[in-house]
Order: sequence, then structure tokens, then C-alpha cells
Amino acid sequence: MENKLHVKDLTISFRTSNGKVQAVRGIDFDLAKGETLAIVGESGSGKSVTSKAILGILAGNSIIEGGEIIYDGKDLLKISEEDFHKIRGDKIAMIFQDPMSSLNPIIKIGKQLTEAMLLKGKARQRESREIFNRYLKTLEKNMIQASAQGNSAKAAELSNKCKSFDKFEYKHLELENKYNVAHESATQAVADIEDILFEISKNAFSDGAYRIKSLKSMALASVNDWVVSGKKAEELVAFAQPLPALFSRAKKSGDYAELVSNIEKINAILKDAVALAQPNFFAMGYYLTFSGKNELPKQPVEELNVTLRKYLDDNFMLSFIEDAKQALIYSANVSKKEMLEAISLLNENKKVYQQEILDKKQANSVCQRLTKEVMETIDPLNTKKDSLIYTFGTGLKNEIDKYFGGIVKNAKEIKRYNKQKADYDKRVARGKEPDWKVVPASITDLELAKKNMVHQIERTVAHLETLVTAVDTRDYDAETVALIDFLKANASGVVNKVTKSIAKARAIKLMKEVGISEPRKRYKQYPFEFSGGMRQRIVIAIALAADPDILICDEPTTALDVTIQSQILELINDLKRERQLSIIFITHDLGVVANMADRIAVMYAGKIVEYGTSEDIFYSSAHPYTWALLSSMPDLDTNEKLDAIPGTPPNMIYPPVGDAFAARNKYAMKIDFERQPPMFKISDTHYAATWLLHPDAPKVDPPKTILDRIARMKEKRGVENEQ
Amino acid sequence: MSNNQETLLKVENLCQYFGFNRAVDDVSFEVKKGEVFGLVGESGCGKTTTGRSIIKLYNITSGSIYFKGIRISAGIRSYQEQMKTAKAEYAEKVKNTADPAEKALLKGELDAIITNCKKEIKRARFDQKNCDKEFSKQMVLAVKTKYQALLSRASETELAALKAEYKDELRKARKTKLVTQIQMIFQDPIASLDPRMTVREIISEGLIIRGERNKKVIDEKVYEMLELVGLVREHASRYPHEFSGGQRQRIGVARAIIMNPELIIADEPVSALDVSIQAQVINLLNDLRHSLGLTILFIAHDLSVVKYFSDRIGVMYYGKMVELTTSDELFKNPLHPYTKSLLSAIPLPDPIYEKNRKRIVYNRLAEHDYSVNKPSLREVAPGHFVECNDEEFEKYKALLSAQD
Repeated sequence: MENKLHVKDLTISFRTSNGKVQAVRGIDFDLAKGETLAIVGESGSGKSVTSKAILGILAGNSIIEGGEIIYDGKDLLKISEEDFHKIRGDKIAMIFQDPMSSLNPIIKIGKQLTEAMLLKGKARQRESREIFNRYLKTLEKNMIQASAQGNSAKAAELSNKCKSFDKFEYKHLELENKYNVAHESATQAVADIEDILFEISKNAFSDGAYRIKSLKSMALASVNDWVVSGKKAEELVAFAQPLPALFSRAKKSGDYAELVSNIEKINAILKDAVALAQPNFFAMGYYLTFSGKNELPKQPVEELNVTLRKYLDDNFMLSFIEDAKQALIYSANVSKKEMLEAISLLNENKKVYQQEILDKKQANSVCQRLTKEVMETIDPLNTKKDSLIYTFGTGLKNEIDKYFGGIVKNAKEIKRYNKQKADYDKRVARGKEPDWKVVPASITDLELAKKNMVHQIERTVAHLETLVTAVDTRDYDAETVALIDFLKANASGVVNKVTKSIAKARAIKLMKEVGISEPRKRYKQYPFEFSGGMRQRIVIAIALAADPDILICDEPTTALDVTIQSQILELINDLKRERQLSIIFITHDLGVVANMADRIAVMYAGKIVEYGTSEDIFYSSAHPYTWALLSSMPDLDTNEKLDAIPGTPPNMIYPPVGDAFAARNKYAMKIDFERQPPMFKISDTHYAATWLLHPDAPKVDPPKTILDRIARMKEKRGVENEQ
Repeated sequence: MSNNQETLLKVENLCQYFGFNRAVDDVSFEVKKGEVFGLVGESGCGKTTTGRSIIKLYNITSGSIYFKGIRISAGIRSYQEQMKTAKAEYAEKVKNTADPAEKALLKGELDAIITNCKKEIKRARFDQKNCDKEFSKQMVLAVKTKYQALLSRASETELAALKAEYKDELRKARKTKLVTQIQMIFQDPIASLDPRMTVREIISEGLIIRGERNKKVIDEKVYEMLELVGLVREHASRYPHEFSGGQRQRIGVARAIIMNPELIIADEPVSALDVSIQAQVINLLNDLRHSLGLTILFIAHDLSVVKYFSDRIGVMYYGKMVELTTSDELFKNPLHPYTKSLLSAIPLPDPIYEKNRKRIVYNRLAEHDYSVNKPSLREVAPGHFVECNDEEFEKYKALLSAQD
């Protein structure tokens, strides 16, 4: 699966008047496309800080001590604020915990919803144009190099082809946009009509004048050559125009029969219209631009599609696809050559990092050279960014810095330890019992850092080798189609100009999508006129307005009641499915993530203590903190006393030497107070950081409440399955 | 829970309107002494308003609230409406008859209704205003009889001290209010504590208002309460911002129980807390309930918590009580479609179950046909009340007997 986000060894602390608070202490995770990752933990565990770091909105007193967050081939911790503007809210959006404080109280909801759309609209138009042009140009260049081979006439023909693609693609989008508006109004009107008829039949029709008016406008908007046209359109207009008058008459007399019959007629027309086949606008755009005729052949839509498609294929598309494919193959081969070079260079220079003692200057200069070489292997025509290649440089550099920093730090640390130890021994020798302990020296493992460097190189070599072998077996036909689709998508970004009225229509659609009734009325209200659940929906709508790649939900349902919570979670799930969103879901309540999360990471005191798929965490959790979280929440069959976690999280100005949870952990062993546990692997997807998993540790079963619950759930499920 | 327990709180036809908004509409229930009564429903359904009406934070529109048998709150809207309809009916009837004797009869009937209503309104207004006075009068009387007996028997040496004590007690009794025996724990522990008062001041404020002047007694009580809720004495001189969320909520609990209340209205006391701390606060409330014999009206939206904590549960929907029964019965045999929809929304810590869970959507219009037969809260099975009309009543009954 395509990885969207990599967080590696992220460490963040905050400067405060009392000292440095270590909020996040080296966490790693990645997020695949269309996946939900839940981060669970108590308040103060650093989960919100992590999400804020991803969005680049950390407080002013924060220090990013190390690590990287890779998105789209960029390290978000290192890019400029200017670059971040393009990502924040647009590519990565966030839903905040408190809907009241994340909405502006003195601006109407509508304005808050459309503000970003209008602002981003222009920026996105520019950006799409830029991407479109760049890719088309690269394609053109590669096409010429692949097929023309010095033949200038052929080269001119190819570049002409690219230009004409540019031209008719715009025509296509223009037509399709118009069609979409009409088709959507028709669909919407059909849905509205159903509600209206139902409510009239139940004698509970509310807010009528307004809804009838909007029905009329929607019906009129669905007139289009390809939706409702000709005689049907005339009829539709004739039925739709008198709706408001009919309604006011019906309201006075209380007899809705006439209005209902009118609406039903409209419904019949629109229902047919919605079911009609969609013409092939791509082909139509080409026909209208290049055939020299202004009229389309008079045929039913299905036949027309075939004719147009044939015309397009014969005159342009097949040869264009063939050329594009050749260009792709050519470009892939160029990058293959680069890759082979990079592989040999990497293999040659591996031994630089395998020496007994590394030379700082040499290590850094070789690292630079390797980075450059690896970056050159990137295929410019590939629309997907390969994060392993992009992160190679920074990853290697990090390890090198760690190694040379460690040399200095280790010497200091050993010195301090020896001094303290001597002091301690002296006191003990005098017969005193000091009330403090000697803090063990925290030594950076230099060998490990070296191993990591070599591993980084070897991993990249292996990755490049798989890419090289794949070059000959790749499905270039599919890739060509994907490339053309990519170009089309960016072209639509250019053509879809966001005006105020479009922004409003889109905002109202979004409001409907997130389940706000009477969106047109609500559009003009202020945030204080909404209830908590409704406010949260607005916040979600604002987050979705920019159509982001990654959605970060920071306790989105904590302030809401069960029904609304359930609705919001379903909403987020649906949106995820529809838009292939990647979601980071932050919460303290394990209960709500069971149906949301694909994977769960449990955080405590700035570290991930356990992560796995949601089945791993709920059915076979291994860390005592996860057990504590699970057993402290009541379910519907709990009768015994709840197992509350005693005490409070540790003070992160002085983080504990050993396992941070040890002080509150009833399974804690001696080693828990002395050394931090590493991540133990339980299965391919399931990891936990607790000494209990060490082979020498005593066997401990999870608490009885959890085992009982799992058994109970299993039994219940079994019963339900049988039924 | 046995049925012949003493009723501590009785709410009768409570209506609370804000303009046209019917926040609470004709809600009746009883809370027995020593039980935990849960009120659930989605936000905006009027459960918090009900709680606040009971503690007299609002003047109720109509209906009555009895606490320990004394009417502490009464509304007058229903009487006004009764008069209005009586007058309209009278006008209609007079139009149709020409007989003067019958007219006089009708007039007499109307006058009777009107005087009766006016009397009720007067009484309601009086109760609304004076319930505390009546109560403090009783308290004063009790103190007087107690001390007069003591004083008459007292020796010369004790007399002065006893007199001073008597005076002090008398003053306190005069200040005693019935409503202070109902205390409230608020949802947001941050917003409900004054940031500029120390914990001691916050907790003792109620005692001081009630007339306690002896500093030593106050301090002792504060320390006792702090220890009761799991904090330590040293915390008394700190400010709220120095505490974590769970500890703040404990301070809120201490502030409520220092008044020695009989009824606590807990308005979403754990909704704003972390899961682990939530468990601490629930355990605390549970312990206090058993050790102090508290009665709790528990308002919350987290059904797992309500189920765990309550003996009986009332489900509210848009200002109406739609179902009321014991918590086990409610989860075993939910009858009202809204209750079913509510139960279907509860998330459980079980991914396989969760991925297949279907939420039932409740649409009042589609679900019921109340155009002819109006619904009311009826007892379908002993102790199980559901809002329904005749037809649904039979349906639910059949459903229940089929399940047995």
C-alpha cells in the first residue's frame, strides 16, 4: 500500500519556566493511504503535540529536537512556512477537539466555510496549472527523445500533439462542469422531493416556503443539453415556475393536492433525467475542437459516445497513448541507468561507513554525494513519490550526526557517571545511606548507529534493485492511463474556478454531506446558534472543504453525546471510504476507536508503548498500560468495581529513567525502574515496549476483567452469528 | 430495589419553556431514597434543564416538584391555560343557548373554575417563594424546643456557654434552606471552580453562607471532605489550576457533599475527563453513595457509564420522557424505538462486533402515527414506562410477553 506519511524518531520538548518538558520522546509510525491510525493515551501523553507537529502549529516555546516527518517527499519539520501554507489545511487538515473555540464567534458559518475555499481556490488553480504544464512538458520532452531520434519533423508533430491535448482537455472540462452542475441539481432535487412528499403526507411540512423555492431553483438548474433538454425542459420549467404560488395557496387553504401533483410531475421528469447515460465529454471536447464542425452528429447518447470515441481514437488518442507509453518506457530506462549507477556507487561507498573509526569529513561528503546520486534516480514522469528514496539523504545524515554527537556525549556522560559514582561510594564507605541513586550513564550505541547507516544504504540498494528488475515487467499501459488521468485531474483544478456562488454551493453541499439539516438557513447563522454536535459537523465540513489527503482528528467526539458521536464517527468513516482519506484519530477513549481504526498506537509519556491492528490491541494486548486503559472503562455488562489507574502521569521535566509507566504499574519489575524497555515484536503487525515480553520475564496474564470481557464478547458474537 | 421505599424527589408534569422552545415538556418521575436515577438522551433533549429546574436555577413554567414531600417548585402556566380554555368554552356555550337559567348555571361553573385556578396559582406562587421559609421555621422550632429543655435544666456555670450555643444554632436554623439539601456537581471542572479562590474557600463557601462562623469547625469539615474524596489536607490552600482534571472534579464533589445533601444532581460529571480518571471519579461517587447513603440524579450521555452506575434510567427525547425503567430492563428489553436507536449507538471495545454494528436511525415522523391517537407515558410492565398510544401499548405488551 502506498505510504502517505512517515514519522521517524520524532522528539519534541517545551521550554517552560520550570525546565524543559519532554513531550514526545522518539516516536515512529507511518500512515498508509486510506488507513486510519488511532493514537490513544491520557492527556499529557504527547498525542496532540505529535499531531500539531505534523501540521506545523506547535506552540512558540517548543523545540523540535530531532526526527523527521516525511510527507510527499518533503520533511515537514524542515520546510519553510511559505511551503507549509500549501500543505496545511489543503493537504493535511485537522478537526479540533473543542468546536466552540475553533470557530470564530463573530463570523457567520457560511463565511467561515467558504473563506478557505476562495483563498485556496486561486492558489490551487495556479498550482494545478504549474503541475499540469510541468508534466506535459516532461512528457513532451521524453516523447521526442524516445520516438523522434533527431527527426525534427517527427519532433514537431509530437510537440503539436501535446499542445492539442492541452487545448481540447480544457474544452472537455468546461462541458463536463456544466453537465455536473445540472446533473447534481437534478439528483438533489429528486432527494428533496422525496422528503417533501413524505412530510406533506405526514402533515408535518416545515419551513415550506423556503424549501419550495430552493426546489424550484434546483429544478430550473437541471436544464442542460444532456440532462433535461428539449420538450422535457419546457415542461419542467412550466411545472417548476408556479411552485411558490401553489405553495402559498395550499398553505392558506390547507389543501396540498395541487402542489403535490405538480411536484410529482417534476419528480417523474427528473427521475428519468438522472437515469440517463452520461456522454463522453472527453471525446466530445476533441470532436468540437478539431473536427471543424460546431454540431454534434444527431444520435442517442450511447451511439454518440461510440462515434465520438472512435473519432477520437482514430485521429488522436491511440497514437498519443502509444507515444506516451514510449516516453514512459524511455524515461523508465533512463532512470534505470541512473539506478544502476547509484547502486554501484552505494555498494562502493558502503565500506566508508564500515570502518573501525569513521572520518567525519569523509562520511559527510560521501553522504552528500550519495544523496545526490540517489535523488537523480527519480523518474520525472512518475506521479507517485517514492518516500524511501526521498528520505534516504536525511535518514543517513541523521545517523551520521547521531554517531559523531554520540562520541562527544558519551565521553561527557562517562565522566559524570564516574564522578557521581565516586561520590556515592565515598558516602557509603563512611557508613551513610544516601537518599539518591547514581543515575546510570546513558550511552549512545555507536556500533548501532554505524549499523543503521549501513542498513540505510543496504535497504536503499535492495529497494533500487527491485525497482531495476521491475522496469522491464512494469504494466506501461496502465501507467500511461494513470498518467493521462493525472493530467486530467490537474487540468480540472485549473478550469474549476472557485467563485463566490460556487463556493457557496459547495459549502451547502458539504453541510448536507456532514448531516446538517436545512443547510441554506444554517449557512447564515453564527456559531453560537448551533448545538455542540452541529458545531463539530461544521468544523468537519471546514476541514473537508479543501479535499485533504490526510485528516487529523484530535478528540473530535469527546464533547459529544453517543448518538452524535456515533453519527460523526460514521461520517468520518464514510468520507474516508469515499475519498480514500488517511486519518490520524487521536482520542483517550479506546471504546470509540474499535470501529474506526485499522491500527492503534497507544502512547504514554511521550512514547508509543504498544501498537498493532485494532484486533491485536483489543483481543491480545500485551502492555500493562493498555490493560489498564481497557479495564478502566465500563461496558454494558460491567458490575464489579472499575480498575482505575492509580496516580497521575509522571512529570516530564524529569522523565523517569526506566519505563515511564512503572510507578503506576502493578506488574512492574525491578528492571522497569532502571532501564527503558525496547519494542518487542509479538507478530508482524503487533509490537509492545514492556519488559514482560522479555524471554526471561515471568509469565503474566492480562487482568481478569479483560479476559472475561473478551470471552463474553466472543460468546455474544457467536450467539448472534448463529441467529 | 424494593418498591415501598420512601420517595425523595417527585417531579410532576414538569414543563420548562424558553419562549417557544419547549425544553422540557410534561415530564414526571420519582426518585426513591438511596437510589441512583439516570437521565439519558442526546444533547439538547432537556436532561440538563430538568436537573437545573429541580435545583431551582430556573423558575419552572408549569408542574410541581416535591422534595421530601414539600413542594419546592411550582409553575402556573397550566392553570392560566385552563382558565383560558374554560372561558372560551363558556363563550361558545353561551352563544348556543338562549335560556337565562342555563346561562347562569354555566356562569357559575366558569366562576368556580376560575376561582379554583386563581387559588392554585396563588398557592403555587407562595410555595415557589416560601418553601425555604416554612422549612427554616420548622428547624427553628426544633432548635427552640431542644434548647429550652436544656436551658431549664442547665446549671449556673453552663448557662452562659449554652446560651451562646443556643443563639448560634438559632441563627443557623433561620438561615437553613431546604434546597441546600440538593446539591449539584457540574460538568466542566475547570469552569465550575473560581480560579481566584483557594480550595478551602471553594469548599467552605456553602457552609459560610449557611451561617457557620467557627473557623475551626469549618477547617475540620473541609479537611474531612478532602480526605473523603481522596485528596489530602495540604491541598486546601492550593488553587484550582494546580490540580489535574480528575482532582478538580473531586473538589467539585467535596463542595457538594460538605452541605450534607440528601440528593446530588450530577450533571455529566465525568464527560470532560480522561477514561482512566473517569473510572476514579465513578468509583468515588459509588463509594460515597454507599457510605453517605446519597441519592443521585445522574445526568449523562455515556450509556455504558449510566448503565454501570444507575438503578433506574429515564430516556428523554426532545423534552419528553419516552421510556423509564430499571437499568437492566432497559438494556434487556428496550421498547421505544428511540431507546433502541440510542442503544445501537453505543461503541463497544470489540472491533469485530463494531465493524458490523448498524446504528438504528430514529425518525419520529416515520416511526409513529400520532395524528389521531395522542401518546402518553404508560406502564407497559410493572415499573416499565413507555411513551405510546393505545395501539402501540398493545404492541409493546405483546412484545414483552412474547419475550418472557
